[in-house]
Amino acid sequence: MLDTPDVATRLDAMRARHNALPHLARLGALFSETVLLEIDDAEFYLHFDNGRLAEIQPGPSRKTPWRFAFRSDGDALDAFWQVHPVPGFHDVFGLVKIGRGRIEGDILCLVKNLRFFKEFMALGRPDIAK
Amino acid sequence: MTATLEAITGRYVTLDVAGVPQRMYFEEAGSGPVVLLFHTAGADNRQWRHILNDAELTNRFRFIAPDMPWHGKSLPPDGWHTEEYLLSTDAYMATVLSFCNALGLDRPIYAGCSMGGRIALQLALHHAEHFSGFIAIEASDFQPAWYDIDWFHRPDAPGGEMGAALVSANIAPQAPEVERWNTQWMFMQSGPGVFRGDLSFYTQDDSLVGQLDRIDTSAAPVHIMVGTYDLTCTPEDAQRTADGIPGATLDIMPEIGHFPMSEHPTRFRPHFVEALARMG
Repeated sequence: MLDTPDVATRLDAMRARHNALPHLARLGALFSETVLLEIDDAEFYLHFDNGRLAEIQPGPSRKTPWRFAFRSDGDALDAFWQVHPVPGFHDVFGLVKIGRGRIEGDILCLVKNLRFFKEFMALGRPDIAK
Repeated sequence: MTATLEAITGRYVTLDVAGVPQRMYFEEAGSGPVVLLFHTAGADNRQWRHILNDAELTNRFRFIAPDMPWHGKSLPPDGWHTEEYLLSTDAYMATVLSFCNALGLDRPIYAGCSMGGRIALQLALHHAEHFSGFIAIEASDFQPAWYDIDWFHRPDAPGGEMGAALVSANIAPQAPEVERWNTQWMFMQSGPGVFRGDLSFYTQDDSLVGQLDRIDTSAAPVHIMVGTYDLTCTPEDAQRTADGIPGATLDIMPEIGHFPMSEHPTRFRPHFVEALARMG
Protein backbone atom coordinates (compact mmCIF):
# COMPACT_ATOMS: atom_id res chain seq x y z
CA MET A 1 0.00 0.00 0.00
CA LEU A 2 1.35 3.38 -0.94
CA ASP A 3 0.52 6.17 1.50
CA THR A 4 0.50 9.84 0.61
CA PRO A 5 4.18 10.54 1.47
CA ASP A 6 5.17 7.50 -0.63
CA VAL A 7 3.23 8.84 -3.59
CA ALA A 8 4.72 12.31 -3.17
CA THR A 9 8.24 10.89 -3.07
CA ARG A 10 7.56 8.75 -6.11
CA LEU A 11 6.17 11.70 -8.05
CA ASP A 12 9.24 13.79 -7.28
CA ALA A 13 11.45 11.01 -8.65
CA MET A 14 9.21 10.68 -11.70
CA ARG A 15 9.49 14.42 -12.32
CA ALA A 16 13.28 14.19 -12.32
CA ARG A 17 13.26 11.24 -14.70
CA HIS A 18 10.63 12.84 -16.92
CA ASN A 19 12.49 16.11 -17.30
CA ALA A 20 15.68 14.25 -18.21
CA LEU A 21 14.08 12.46 -21.17
CA PRO A 22 14.39 14.46 -24.43
CA HIS A 23 11.80 12.37 -26.26
CA LEU A 24 9.13 13.24 -23.71
CA ALA A 25 9.90 16.93 -24.15
CA ARG A 26 9.40 16.42 -27.88
CA LEU A 27 6.21 14.38 -27.49
CA GLY A 28 4.77 16.92 -25.07
CA ALA A 29 5.98 20.04 -26.83
CA LEU A 30 2.39 21.28 -27.23
CA PHE A 31 1.24 20.07 -23.82
CA SER A 32 0.99 22.87 -21.29
CA GLU A 33 -1.79 21.75 -18.99
CA THR A 34 -2.45 20.97 -15.36
CA VAL A 35 -3.36 17.39 -14.54
CA LEU A 36 -4.94 16.45 -11.23
CA LEU A 37 -3.72 13.17 -9.82
CA GLU A 38 -5.87 12.12 -6.89
CA ILE A 39 -4.73 9.07 -4.94
CA ASP A 40 -7.07 8.10 -2.13
CA ASP A 41 -7.77 11.52 -0.57
CA ALA A 42 -4.50 13.17 -1.59
CA GLU A 43 -4.39 15.63 -4.48
CA PHE A 44 -1.36 16.39 -6.63
CA TYR A 45 -1.58 19.08 -9.31
CA LEU A 46 0.93 18.34 -12.06
CA HIS A 47 1.74 21.54 -13.93
CA PHE A 48 3.19 20.65 -17.35
CA ASP A 49 4.82 23.38 -19.41
CA ASN A 50 5.64 22.50 -23.03
CA GLY A 51 6.19 18.90 -22.08
CA ARG A 52 8.25 19.57 -18.97
CA LEU A 53 6.80 18.90 -15.54
CA ALA A 54 7.38 22.35 -14.10
CA GLU A 55 5.80 21.85 -10.68
CA ILE A 56 4.01 19.31 -8.53
CA GLN A 57 1.62 21.25 -6.33
CA PRO A 58 0.24 19.28 -3.41
CA GLY A 59 -3.42 19.71 -2.58
CA PRO A 60 -6.01 20.05 -1.37
CA SER A 61 -7.02 23.01 -3.44
CA ARG A 62 -10.37 24.35 -4.45
CA LYS A 63 -9.01 27.03 -6.74
CA THR A 64 -6.54 25.24 -8.97
CA PRO A 65 -8.00 24.61 -12.42
CA TRP A 66 -7.07 21.38 -14.18
CA ARG A 67 -7.65 19.96 -17.68
CA PHE A 68 -8.21 16.34 -16.73
CA ALA A 69 -7.96 14.27 -13.59
CA PHE A 70 -6.89 10.73 -12.94
CA ARG A 71 -8.17 9.27 -9.69
CA SER A 72 -7.10 5.98 -8.18
CA ASP A 73 -6.03 4.45 -4.87
CA GLY A 74 -2.69 3.63 -3.28
CA ASP A 75 -3.04 -0.14 -3.60
CA ALA A 76 -3.91 0.11 -7.29
CA LEU A 77 -1.06 2.51 -7.96
CA ASP A 78 1.35 0.27 -6.10
CA ALA A 79 0.30 -2.60 -8.37
CA PHE A 80 0.52 -0.34 -11.44
CA TRP A 81 4.07 0.67 -10.58
CA GLN A 82 5.43 -2.90 -10.51
CA VAL A 83 7.82 -3.86 -13.31
CA HIS A 84 5.36 -6.46 -14.54
CA PRO A 85 1.94 -5.47 -13.20
CA VAL A 86 -0.76 -8.12 -13.16
CA PRO A 87 -3.45 -7.88 -15.88
CA GLY A 88 -5.64 -4.83 -15.58
CA PHE A 89 -3.11 -2.99 -13.42
CA HIS A 90 -0.65 -2.68 -16.30
CA ASP A 91 -2.17 0.38 -17.95
CA VAL A 92 -3.91 3.63 -17.03
CA PHE A 93 -6.97 2.68 -19.07
CA GLY A 94 -6.70 -0.82 -17.66
CA LEU A 95 -7.21 0.61 -14.18
CA VAL A 96 -10.27 2.42 -15.49
CA LYS A 97 -11.64 -0.70 -17.13
CA ILE A 98 -11.31 -2.80 -13.95
CA GLY A 99 -12.86 -0.05 -11.84
CA ARG A 100 -9.70 1.02 -9.99
CA GLY A 101 -9.19 4.29 -11.83
CA ARG A 102 -11.35 7.13 -13.05
CA ILE A 103 -10.75 9.86 -15.59
CA GLU A 104 -12.59 13.15 -15.33
CA GLY A 105 -12.50 16.43 -17.20
CA ASP A 106 -11.31 16.85 -20.77
CA ILE A 107 -10.79 13.21 -21.70
CA LEU A 108 -10.16 14.14 -25.33
CA CYS A 109 -7.17 16.21 -24.20
CA LEU A 110 -5.88 13.11 -22.44
CA VAL A 111 -6.44 10.93 -25.50
CA LYS A 112 -4.67 13.42 -27.76
CA ASN A 113 -1.68 13.23 -25.43
CA LEU A 114 -2.16 9.62 -24.35
CA ARG A 115 1.28 8.30 -25.18
CA PHE A 116 2.88 11.24 -23.39
CA PHE A 117 0.77 10.82 -20.25
CA LYS A 118 1.13 7.03 -20.19
CA GLU A 119 4.90 7.28 -20.47
CA PHE A 120 4.97 9.80 -17.63
CA MET A 121 2.86 7.55 -15.40
CA ALA A 122 5.04 4.53 -16.22
CA LEU A 123 8.09 6.37 -14.86
CA GLY A 124 6.97 5.33 -11.38
CA ARG A 125 8.08 1.80 -12.20
CA PRO A 126 11.52 0.71 -11.01
CA ASP A 127 12.89 0.29 -14.50
CA ILE A 128 11.04 0.79 -17.75
CA ALA A 129 14.03 -0.26 -19.88
CA LYS A 130 13.84 -3.94 -20.81
CA MET B 1 25.60 -7.00 -39.43
CA THR B 2 25.12 -9.75 -42.00
CA ALA B 3 22.50 -9.03 -44.63
CA THR B 4 19.59 -11.45 -44.75
CA LEU B 5 17.20 -11.88 -47.63
CA GLU B 6 13.92 -13.08 -46.19
CA ALA B 7 11.91 -15.85 -47.84
CA ILE B 8 8.70 -13.80 -47.80
CA THR B 9 7.35 -12.77 -51.20
CA GLY B 10 4.70 -10.10 -51.83
CA ARG B 11 2.19 -9.93 -54.66
CA TYR B 12 -1.01 -8.15 -55.61
CA VAL B 13 -4.30 -9.64 -56.73
CA THR B 14 -7.17 -7.72 -58.30
CA LEU B 15 -10.59 -9.08 -57.53
CA ASP B 16 -14.21 -8.13 -56.97
CA VAL B 17 -15.67 -8.02 -53.50
CA ALA B 18 -19.46 -7.82 -53.65
CA GLY B 19 -19.18 -6.10 -57.02
CA VAL B 20 -16.51 -3.61 -55.90
CA PRO B 21 -13.11 -3.89 -57.60
CA GLN B 22 -10.30 -4.22 -55.08
CA ARG B 23 -6.54 -4.57 -55.38
CA MET B 24 -5.24 -6.57 -52.47
CA TYR B 25 -1.66 -7.05 -51.37
CA PHE B 26 -0.57 -10.28 -49.78
CA GLU B 27 2.62 -11.89 -48.60
CA GLU B 28 3.35 -15.58 -48.54
CA ALA B 29 6.00 -18.10 -47.61
CA GLY B 30 6.31 -21.86 -47.44
CA SER B 31 4.72 -24.88 -48.99
CA GLY B 32 2.11 -27.37 -47.84
CA PRO B 33 -1.42 -26.93 -46.56
CA VAL B 34 -2.50 -23.30 -46.88
CA VAL B 35 -2.92 -21.23 -43.73
CA LEU B 36 -4.48 -17.79 -44.16
CA LEU B 37 -3.26 -15.19 -41.67
CA PHE B 38 -5.50 -12.15 -41.15
CA HIS B 39 -4.40 -9.08 -39.22
CA THR B 40 -6.15 -7.06 -36.51
CA ALA B 41 -8.06 -3.80 -36.84
CA GLY B 42 -6.00 -0.75 -37.68
CA ALA B 43 -2.92 -2.71 -38.77
CA ASP B 44 -1.65 -4.90 -41.61
CA ASN B 45 0.00 -8.18 -42.50
CA ARG B 46 3.35 -7.22 -40.99
CA GLN B 47 1.90 -8.47 -37.71
CA TRP B 48 2.46 -11.99 -39.08
CA ARG B 49 6.03 -11.58 -40.35
CA HIS B 50 7.56 -13.73 -37.63
CA ILE B 51 5.44 -16.73 -38.62
CA LEU B 52 6.16 -16.10 -42.31
CA ASN B 53 9.87 -16.10 -41.50
CA ASP B 54 9.75 -19.27 -39.40
CA ALA B 55 11.62 -21.86 -41.48
CA GLU B 56 10.42 -24.82 -39.43
CA LEU B 57 6.81 -23.84 -39.98
CA THR B 58 7.16 -22.79 -43.62
CA ASN B 59 8.61 -26.24 -44.34
CA ARG B 60 5.22 -27.64 -43.37
CA PHE B 61 2.70 -24.94 -44.34
CA ARG B 62 2.10 -22.35 -47.02
CA PHE B 63 1.25 -19.18 -45.11
CA ILE B 64 -0.61 -16.39 -46.91
CA ALA B 65 -1.11 -13.06 -45.15
CA PRO B 66 -3.21 -10.44 -46.98
CA ASP B 67 -3.70 -6.78 -46.24
CA MET B 68 -7.42 -6.13 -46.07
CA PRO B 69 -8.64 -3.38 -48.44
CA TRP B 70 -7.86 0.05 -46.89
CA HIS B 71 -4.98 -1.53 -44.92
CA GLY B 72 -1.24 -1.75 -45.47
CA LYS B 73 -0.42 -1.83 -49.18
CA SER B 74 -3.98 -2.63 -50.30
CA LEU B 75 -5.50 0.58 -51.62
CA PRO B 76 -9.01 1.61 -50.67
CA PRO B 77 -11.54 1.26 -53.50
CA ASP B 78 -12.04 3.96 -56.12
CA GLY B 79 -14.01 6.87 -54.67
CA TRP B 80 -12.76 6.34 -51.14
CA HIS B 81 -12.25 10.07 -50.66
CA THR B 82 -15.98 10.68 -50.36
CA GLU B 83 -16.79 7.42 -48.60
CA GLU B 84 -17.05 6.83 -44.87
CA TYR B 85 -15.18 3.59 -44.26
CA LEU B 86 -17.28 1.31 -42.08
CA LEU B 87 -16.41 -2.37 -42.23
CA SER B 88 -19.35 -4.76 -42.10
CA THR B 89 -19.57 -8.47 -41.37
CA ASP B 90 -20.92 -9.18 -44.85
CA ALA B 91 -18.19 -7.19 -46.61
CA TYR B 92 -15.53 -8.79 -44.45
CA MET B 93 -16.69 -12.34 -45.16
CA ALA B 94 -17.06 -11.54 -48.87
CA THR B 95 -13.49 -10.25 -48.90
CA VAL B 96 -12.09 -13.44 -47.39
CA LEU B 97 -14.12 -15.70 -49.70
CA SER B 98 -13.28 -13.67 -52.79
CA PHE B 99 -9.58 -13.71 -51.88
CA CYS B 100 -9.65 -17.51 -51.50
CA ASN B 101 -11.45 -17.87 -54.80
CA ALA B 102 -9.07 -15.53 -56.63
CA LEU B 103 -6.05 -17.53 -55.45
CA GLY B 104 -7.75 -20.86 -56.06
CA LEU B 105 -7.33 -21.98 -52.47
CA ASP B 106 -9.00 -25.26 -51.57
CA ARG B 107 -10.29 -25.32 -48.01
CA PRO B 108 -7.45 -23.44 -46.33
CA ILE B 109 -6.99 -23.16 -42.60
CA TYR B 110 -8.11 -19.72 -41.52
CA ALA B 111 -6.26 -17.88 -38.72
CA GLY B 112 -7.09 -14.33 -37.71
CA CYS B 113 -6.58 -12.04 -34.75
CA SER B 114 -8.98 -9.62 -33.08
CA MET B 115 -11.42 -8.54 -35.80
CA GLY B 116 -9.76 -11.29 -37.87
CA GLY B 117 -10.70 -13.67 -35.08
CA ARG B 118 -14.25 -12.42 -34.89
CA ILE B 119 -14.72 -13.01 -38.61
CA ALA B 120 -13.25 -16.50 -38.15
CA LEU B 121 -16.26 -17.29 -35.99
CA GLN B 122 -18.65 -15.73 -38.52
CA LEU B 123 -17.05 -17.80 -41.30
CA ALA B 124 -17.31 -20.91 -39.13
CA LEU B 125 -21.00 -20.19 -38.70
CA HIS B 126 -21.88 -19.27 -42.29
CA HIS B 127 -19.20 -20.69 -44.61
CA ALA B 128 -17.47 -23.57 -42.84
CA GLU B 129 -17.52 -25.71 -45.97
CA HIS B 130 -14.88 -23.48 -47.57
CA PHE B 131 -12.31 -24.02 -44.80
CA SER B 132 -10.59 -26.92 -43.07
CA GLY B 133 -10.36 -25.22 -39.69
CA PHE B 134 -10.43 -21.94 -37.79
CA ILE B 135 -7.90 -20.43 -35.40
CA ALA B 136 -9.67 -17.49 -33.78
CA ILE B 137 -7.18 -15.38 -31.85
CA GLU B 138 -8.31 -12.77 -29.31
CA ALA B 139 -11.80 -13.58 -30.50
CA SER B 140 -15.20 -13.63 -28.90
CA ASP B 141 -18.81 -13.32 -29.90
CA PHE B 142 -19.02 -9.65 -28.97
CA GLN B 143 -17.57 -6.89 -26.83
CA PRO B 144 -18.94 -3.37 -26.74
CA ALA B 145 -16.38 -0.55 -26.93
CA TRP B 146 -14.83 0.63 -23.67
CA TYR B 147 -13.67 3.77 -25.52
CA ASP B 148 -15.16 6.24 -28.02
CA ILE B 149 -14.30 5.03 -31.53
CA ASP B 150 -14.78 8.57 -32.87
CA TRP B 151 -11.61 9.61 -31.05
CA PHE B 152 -9.67 7.98 -33.86
CA HIS B 153 -10.85 10.03 -36.82
CA ARG B 154 -10.82 13.74 -36.13
CA PRO B 155 -9.51 16.71 -38.08
CA ASP B 156 -7.71 18.11 -35.04
CA ALA B 157 -5.74 15.09 -33.88
CA PRO B 158 -3.59 12.26 -35.22
CA GLY B 159 -5.90 9.24 -35.19
CA GLY B 160 -3.15 6.72 -35.82
CA GLU B 161 -1.00 7.88 -32.95
CA MET B 162 -3.97 8.05 -30.60
CA GLY B 163 -5.02 4.58 -31.69
CA ALA B 164 -1.55 3.25 -31.01
CA ALA B 165 -1.54 4.83 -27.56
CA LEU B 166 -4.90 3.26 -26.84
CA VAL B 167 -4.01 -0.23 -28.00
CA SER B 168 -0.80 -0.16 -25.98
CA ALA B 169 -3.16 -0.96 -23.11
CA ASN B 170 -3.55 -4.36 -24.74
CA ILE B 171 0.15 -5.22 -24.90
CA ALA B 172 1.49 -7.32 -22.04
CA PRO B 173 4.28 -5.78 -19.95
CA GLN B 174 6.42 -8.85 -20.72
CA ALA B 175 6.46 -8.02 -24.46
CA PRO B 176 9.94 -7.25 -25.78
CA GLU B 177 10.35 -3.50 -26.07
CA VAL B 178 11.21 -3.65 -29.79
CA GLU B 179 8.08 -5.60 -30.67
CA ARG B 180 5.89 -3.44 -28.42
CA TRP B 181 6.83 -0.43 -30.51
CA ASN B 182 6.76 -2.26 -33.85
CA THR B 183 3.22 -3.32 -33.00
CA GLN B 184 2.22 0.28 -32.31
CA TRP B 185 3.95 1.58 -35.43
CA MET B 186 1.47 -0.24 -37.66
CA PHE B 187 -1.43 1.49 -35.92
CA MET B 188 0.31 4.84 -36.27
CA GLN B 189 0.55 4.19 -40.02
CA SER B 190 -3.07 3.22 -40.59
CA GLY B 191 -5.03 5.40 -43.00
CA PRO B 192 -7.34 8.12 -41.74
CA GLY B 193 -10.53 6.65 -40.35
CA VAL B 194 -9.49 3.05 -40.95
CA PHE B 195 -9.10 2.05 -37.31
CA ARG B 196 -12.43 3.71 -36.53
CA GLY B 197 -14.11 1.90 -39.43
CA ASP B 198 -12.70 -1.44 -38.27
CA LEU B 199 -13.81 -0.79 -34.72
CA SER B 200 -17.28 0.03 -35.95
CA PHE B 201 -17.55 -3.59 -37.11
CA TYR B 202 -15.80 -5.00 -34.07
CA THR B 203 -17.68 -3.10 -31.38
CA GLN B 204 -21.15 -2.76 -32.87
CA ASP B 205 -21.94 -5.96 -34.79
CA ASP B 206 -23.39 -8.34 -32.22
CA SER B 207 -24.88 -10.74 -34.73
CA LEU B 208 -22.95 -13.71 -33.31
CA VAL B 209 -24.67 -13.43 -29.95
CA GLY B 210 -27.06 -16.34 -29.55
CA GLN B 211 -25.71 -18.06 -32.68
CA LEU B 212 -22.58 -19.78 -31.35
CA ASP B 213 -24.26 -23.13 -30.77
CA ARG B 214 -25.03 -23.32 -34.49
CA ILE B 215 -21.32 -23.55 -35.35
CA ASP B 216 -20.56 -27.12 -36.42
CA THR B 217 -17.03 -27.95 -35.34
CA SER B 218 -17.32 -31.44 -36.82
CA ALA B 219 -17.22 -29.77 -40.25
CA ALA B 220 -14.18 -27.64 -39.36
CA PRO B 221 -12.52 -27.37 -35.95
CA VAL B 222 -12.59 -24.08 -34.06
CA HIS B 223 -9.71 -23.22 -31.73
CA ILE B 224 -9.82 -19.98 -29.74
CA MET B 225 -6.71 -18.36 -28.29
CA VAL B 226 -6.57 -15.44 -25.86
CA GLY B 227 -3.85 -13.58 -23.96
CA THR B 228 -4.22 -12.90 -20.26
CA TYR B 229 -3.37 -9.22 -20.74
CA ASP B 230 -6.02 -8.58 -23.38
CA LEU B 231 -8.29 -5.85 -22.04
CA THR B 232 -10.43 -5.79 -25.19
CA CYS B 233 -11.19 -9.48 -25.62
CA THR B 234 -10.61 -10.72 -22.10
CA PRO B 235 -10.03 -14.36 -21.17
CA GLU B 236 -13.55 -14.30 -19.75
CA ASP B 237 -14.92 -13.16 -23.14
CA ALA B 238 -13.02 -15.93 -24.91
CA GLN B 239 -14.07 -18.53 -22.33
CA ARG B 240 -17.74 -17.55 -22.70
CA THR B 241 -17.41 -17.85 -26.46
CA ALA B 242 -15.63 -21.21 -26.38
CA ASP B 243 -18.21 -22.54 -23.94
CA GLY B 244 -20.93 -21.55 -26.40
CA ILE B 245 -19.49 -23.47 -29.37
CA PRO B 246 -19.91 -27.24 -29.05
CA GLY B 247 -16.53 -28.87 -29.59
CA ALA B 248 -14.50 -25.64 -29.61
CA THR B 249 -11.16 -25.59 -27.79
CA LEU B 250 -9.57 -22.72 -25.90
CA ASP B 251 -5.98 -21.77 -25.08
CA ILE B 252 -5.38 -19.01 -22.53
CA MET B 253 -1.88 -17.64 -23.09
CA PRO B 254 -0.03 -16.14 -20.10
CA GLU B 255 2.02 -12.95 -20.40
CA ILE B 256 0.47 -12.09 -23.77
CA GLY B 257 -1.95 -9.35 -24.78
CA HIS B 258 -4.15 -8.64 -27.79
CA PHE B 259 -1.43 -8.95 -30.48
CA PRO B 260 0.30 -12.27 -29.74
CA MET B 261 2.04 -12.89 -33.06
CA SER B 262 3.29 -9.31 -33.18
CA GLU B 263 3.96 -8.24 -29.58
CA HIS B 264 5.70 -11.42 -28.39
CA PRO B 265 6.41 -13.79 -31.28
CA THR B 266 8.56 -16.30 -29.39
CA ARG B 267 6.02 -16.71 -26.61
CA PHE B 268 3.18 -17.01 -29.13
CA ARG B 269 4.90 -19.59 -31.34
CA PRO B 270 4.35 -22.78 -29.28
CA HIS B 271 0.70 -21.86 -28.81
CA PHE B 272 0.30 -21.39 -32.56
CA VAL B 273 2.06 -24.67 -33.32
CA GLU B 274 -0.40 -26.40 -31.02
CA ALA B 275 -3.28 -24.61 -32.74
CA LEU B 276 -2.10 -25.78 -36.17
CA ALA B 277 -1.89 -29.34 -34.88
CA ARG B 278 -5.53 -29.12 -33.85
CA MET B 279 -6.59 -28.31 -37.41
CA GLY B 280 -6.23 -31.96 -38.42
